[in-house]
This record gives sequence, structure tokens and C-alpha cells, in this order.
Amino acid sequence: MSEIGRLAVILAFIASCYAVVSIAWGLRTSMAGPLRSGRRAVWVVCGLTLLATVILVQALTSLDFRWRYVAEHTSRDLPMMYRVSSLWAGQEGSLLLWLLILSSYGAAFLWAYRKRLDPFYDAVAMVVAAVMVFFTGLLTFVSSPFRILATAPADGNGLNPLLQDPGMMIHPPILYTGYVGFIIPFAFGIAVLLMNRTGTRWIEEVRRWTLFNWMFLGTGILMGARWAYIELGWGGYWGWDPVENASLMPWLVGTAFLHSVMVEQRRGMLKTWNVALIVLTFELSIFGTFLTRSGVLTSVHSFTESNIGPWFMGFILISSTIAAALILYRKALLESENRLDAVVSREGSFLFNNVLFVALAFATFLGTVFPVVSEAVTGSKISVSAPFFNRVNVPIALALLLLTGAGPVLSWRRATASVLKRNFLIPAFVGLLAAVIGIPLGLHGVYPVLCVFGVAFVASTIVMEFARGIQARKDVSEARGAMSVVSLVQKNKRRYGGYIVHAGMVVIFVGVLGSTVFQKESHGPLRVGEKLAIGPYALTLRGVEEKQVTNAQQTRAVLDVSRGGKSLGQARPAKAMYFKSQQPMTEIALRQTSAEDLYMILGGVNDDGSVSIQAYINPLVSFIWVGGLIMALGTIIALTDRMRLRREEKLGG
Amino acid sequence: MIRALALALAVAALAALAAPAWAAPLKDPSRAVTDGIICPCSCGEILTGCTCETGKAMKAYVDREVKGGKSKDQVEAALVSQYGEVILGAPKAQGFNLVVWIAPFVVTVAGFLVASLALVRWTRRRSGAAVSAGAAAHGSESPFRTDPDARLAALRARAEEELRGLRE
Repeated sequence: MSEIGRLAVILAFIASCYAVVSIAWGLRTSMAGPLRSGRRAVWVVCGLTLLATVILVQALTSLDFRWRYVAEHTSRDLPMMYRVSSLWAGQEGSLLLWLLILSSYGAAFLWAYRKRLDPFYDAVAMVVAAVMVFFTGLLTFVSSPFRILATAPADGNGLNPLLQDPGMMIHPPILYTGYVGFIIPFAFGIAVLLMNRTGTRWIEEVRRWTLFNWMFLGTGILMGARWAYIELGWGGYWGWDPVENASLMPWLVGTAFLHSVMVEQRRGMLKTWNVALIVLTFELSIFGTFLTRSGVLTSVHSFTESNIGPWFMGFILISSTIAAALILYRKALLESENRLDAVVSREGSFLFNNVLFVALAFATFLGTVFPVVSEAVTGSKISVSAPFFNRVNVPIALALLLLTGAGPVLSWRRATASVLKRNFLIPAFVGLLAAVIGIPLGLHGVYPVLCVFGVAFVASTIVMEFARGIQARKDVSEARGAMSVVSLVQKNKRRYGGYIVHAGMVVIFVGVLGSTVFQKESHGPLRVGEKLAIGPYALTLRGVEEKQVTNAQQTRAVLDVSRGGKSLGQARPAKAMYFKSQQPMTEIALRQTSAEDLYMILGGVNDDGSVSIQAYINPLVSFIWVGGLIMALGTIIALTDRMRLRREEKLGG
Repeated sequence: MIRALALALAVAALAALAAPAWAAPLKDPSRAVTDGIICPCSCGEILTGCTCETGKAMKAYVDREVKGGKSKDQVEAALVSQYGEVILGAPKAQGFNLVVWIAPFVVTVAGFLVASLALVRWTRRRSGAAVSAGAAAHGSESPFRTDPDARLAALRARAEEELRGLRE
């Protein structure tokens, strides 16, 4: 079977090359045949990649240890679901998943635009095919998952214990769907430049694709944070790890694009800037893939270090050079009128919002790569980790939070003094009130106080926008109460979907603020019967038990948990020794409520028989996950707006 | 406005360099040290959250030193002399490493300056175009001042354009 898999990838490489050449030939000669043939080749790549993936998954689930990839990433004691997820646990398999999602995007794109006979869409398909050439080439010549060992081992090496978590079943595919999906906006941008295309229709198409990918990337990032919270066992969810940063950067630049694209749609401005943002978002996605595989930076996520880093760097250099050259070459195409009525306007606020998003991405990029740069320049090693990012990124993020409230309530074109007064007075008052109330409740420092002000300010502007919308529709809509909100959102899904996304972001800020500023910690060695107090909780050690699970031996501390003297049952934080890797892994015990998480870690059993227990109270962590859901909901609402417009277009003939 | 923005960002940069920023007021002085230290094993995690054996031993060392009366700076200096600057979670703002602290704020300030200048320029261009259009139609005076019909027509055209934007 490995030969069939390998052959499928080789044929996919040939088909990708053919698609690029055929479509390019068709575009040059305006012949329909080569264009049609090239489009079909993209479908063929998708089919062949799916075949190769199915073959590899079959080998993984049947534990065929003749395959090198299977022997390296699975073992006989590995539960079935992790055998499947080991498809993306190693470099070769994760590259195949990349290609599968990439070619699926290519096929989805062709399906979505199957009725459009415009050669512009062929040019988009050609760019997608060109990127497929790179990935099929890597899988064919550099990093094949279909290699066979001379002698099959009796058992495999097993899966990295950190990856043996249910979240790993969905986190990487969701993250990849976001990452890889930025190929479509990138391909649109390049196709516009290649085809010298004028008009703004393409920008609406790109906005929708970007929104879709942005939602998946954001959801994937939060799922990764949740995985880190549960699996890494250090009490937090975001450590500014290089690989976490790599996923954040394209999300930030993509967010900047989603705002500035509105200025282009409304005013025909910022065309060059928008194309540059599209290109940068895609390049940062590839950079993220490079970081996880190159091994140039230390990261808890770098499971797949290898020598393919230079290939990715080469691809980034070539593709970004081509894009930059095209932008310069088509400068005239991207020229805008660039006229504004007033500086204080929504357009102005979006421009500043873009500066802050890009600055945040830049600060994250610089901090991520600086250890390598500094070592190259000074010769000495340094670390750039959470203490740096918390100092540099937090003020920029807070400025963005304030703009999140200000931007949407500024009018397009010109915000008059009366508009400013009407829209800002109450939110500013509510923000100040919240900050003043927060200080005696334990808020210390400039940033937490600013954050509370910002959260209350933004929340007030959103509530006011909804209230005004409902009030304005009172005479024409019969809906009352909660239904009036639904009716309002349905009437302008794009606008109110955006507000819901902002509301989700506010909820996330509340969660970050609560879990960071009000976190409580307690630790100590406990003997049986002794108590560890943390806030209103008391943890009493009842004993230590050993338990064998499928592929690991667990040592568990049995803790009686009580709150204010009332028993809440038992918790069992553990250390698991995986048979294959012989690495001790932390298995936390978590007691979650909407208000706070009680997070318990077993440090280990000491020589004197005592047990090291570490516990945290992380207030409002659940807000982070709920905020993510709200953001995803808002994005889905905004995405469905197009469907209404299409229906209206059809009805209108 | 531009000066005010530059000043605000300069203050933010200084605050970032000077303040412990986001962290909670720490009751545990050991944590003030471990929050800024990287575990010396290969995990690359902040010492506070590291649960490996090396991390545990180092946390115990920090605890002993702090309880023994050493300050945060003294404990950090001792660790740097043993492991090198790589042990610090953030590089000291000196020498070449100053770049990483300053550059994000320089970029932000530069971005704000460029955006502000562009906005001012684009606004002037707009008002210049309106004035010249008025001059062409009605001599030297703007039509918006002299001709109510012209003003109404201009407002209607603008309303149409904005409604079109809302429909799209």
C-alpha cells in the first residue's frame, strides 16, 4: 500500500505542475481547453491527496510497523483515536494534512465559482496550484510519510504524551483550516495583480474567505490555549511560546485586513495596503509552519523538528518577492483617490486600528525571532518570553481595546462634535465608574485599571448601538424583547455580527484580566490528613493511589476538596509515566465554575513520603472560552449576510 | 494631535520598560523571581509554571535564597552568573538587546505619524477638490454657500452613495 500512497503523491505533484502550466497557457492564449484541463487537474490533486491520506491513516490504525512513520508515531498500546490523530503528530503526516486541506480549498474554490466563466478565477486557481506544487514537491522529494523500514520493529515508539489529549483530535485540523485557508485571499490578491483586474467585486469575495479562515484560526488558537491549560499543567493558557506567537501573527494581520477592507469597499481607498495585508497574512501562515518544523526556536510545540526549514524559508522569500514585485509593477492599478472628509471619522479610526494590529504583530514577530538575531549579532544566547511580551504587547493591546469601542460608533466620513458627545459620553462615564469601583476591589497598576475602563467602555458602546438599532426599528418591527435583538441582527447581519465579535473579544479581555490579576496560588508538601488552604478552598490529602491506564501508570493524589467548609467531593491530580516514552507527565485536576477554576497539580511524591501539591484559583477563565464561542457566532452571522444579499439579488432579477 | 499621539506612545514605552505591567500584586516574593526566569532544562517554560524535576529544584533554590534575605536582583544576578543571560525571561534593556524593547514602540509611533499625516493630506485633498469644483461652477464662491439647490443636490448624491454602500 505504501507504493500506492507514494505514487498518489507523485501524481499529485505532476498534476499540480500541469495545472499551473495549463492554466497559464490558457490565460496567455485565451483558449478554454487548457483552462478547463488545468481546473480539472486541481480536482485530481485533491482526489490523489485524499487517497494518500486514507492510505496513511489505514496504516496508522492497523499499526503496520513496516512503515517508518507508523513506527515513529504509534505503538500497540495507543488508543485508536490517537492512532488517527498521529496523522498530524509527525512532520510528514502533518504536511500531508496541510496538502489535503490546501487541495480541498482549491476544490472548494472551483466548486464555489463553477458557474463563473471569467478567466480571473482561473488565475486564482493557478496560484493555488502553484502553492500545491511546493507542498506536493516537499512530500515527494524531501519528506515522504510512505517510507518503508528494512526491518519492521515489534512495536513503535509511541505518540508524544503531550499529544495524547482529546483536544489534539480537533485542535490541529481546525488551526490548519485557518492557516491554510489564507491561500485563497492570497491567490485572489495575486490574481488581481496578474490579471490587472479593476473593480471591487473581488474584494467582497476575499473578505468572505478571509472571515471564514480567520474564524477557524481564532478558534484553533483558543483551542490550543485550552489544550495548553489542561495538558501542560502550569496553571496558565498562554505562554507566548514561539509557536503560539506564530499562530497569533497571521490572525492579527488578518484582523487588520478585515477592518481596512471596509474602507476600500466604502471609499475605494487603501488598495495597496489591503493587498499587502493579504500577502503578509499568508506569508505569516507559512512562517508559522516553518517555525514548528525548523527547530530554530525552542518551543513546547516543536514536535516535528527537521531539516525542511530552509525549504520553507526559500518558499517565503520567493513568494513574498513575487508578490512585492507585482504590487510595484501594478502600482497604477492600486492607486486610490484617497480623499477623506474628516480625520475624526470611522475611516480614520480604522487606519489607526490597522497601525496597532500590525504593530502588535510586529512586536510579536520581533520578540519571537530576536533570540536568533541577538545570538547572531552578539554571540550570546538570550530568551524572549512572557515577561517581555507582557510588557510590550499589553499596552498596544489595550490601545486596540479602546479603539474597538471608539471605531464603530464614529460615523463614516465625518464625526461631528454632537455625534462624539452622543456616542462617547455615556460609555466613557461607565468606563470610569467601572475603573473607580475596581480599584478598591483589588485592581492595582495602570494596565488592569485601563483594561477595566476599556472593557466597560466597549461593552457600553455595543449595548448602546443595539439599543439605538432596536429603538429605530420599533415602528417597523413587531418584535419585542429578545426577539427585537434577533430581528435587528437579521436585518443587518454584517454590522451586528461585527458587534457580536467585538462583544466576544470584550468577554475574552474580562477572562484574561480576571485570571491574571486575581489569580491566587498556594503550594506545599502535604502528609495524609494535612490541609492546603487557597482562598475559600481547602484541599485535604487523603492518600496516594496507583492506577494503570491504557498506556501509562498514574500516581494520583487523592484530595478532599471543600469550599467554605462545605465538601465538594474529591479531586485526583496525577503524574503519569507513559510506558513508551518513560516521561513523567502532569495530569491536572480541575474544578470549573463560571466564576473560577480550581486548578490542582501533583508535583510529585517526595522522599520523606509527603506529597507536593500546587493549586491555583484562576478567576473567570471560562470567560475566555465563552468569548471565543461568541466571536465564532458573530463571525458566522456576518458570513451569512451574503446569503441574504444573494436571495435579494435573485428576487430582484 | 500628532505630538499628543507621539507623547502618549512614548509614555507607554517608558511604562512598559519600567512597570511590572500585568502581573498581580505578588504576596509571594519567590514568585516575583520565578516569573522572570526560564527553566534551565530544554522546555523553555517560565520557571513558575514548570513542573519538571529541574524546575522544581530551581524553584526550591529560589525559595531558599529569598527566605535567606536575598533580593530579587541578587537572586537573578546569581542565576545569570551561573547559566548566562539566557536564564532571564526577557533580556536586559541594554546594548544590542535594547532594540527588542524599543523597536515595537518606534514602529507604533512611526505608524501613527504616517497614518496621521496621510489622513491630514487626504482630508485637505478632499476640501481642495470641493473648493475647486465650486469655483469652476460658480466663480470664486462655493456652491454650498450660495446655492441651496446645489447643496441639496450634493447632500442627496451623498445620501444615495451611502445607501448604496449599506446595500452592498
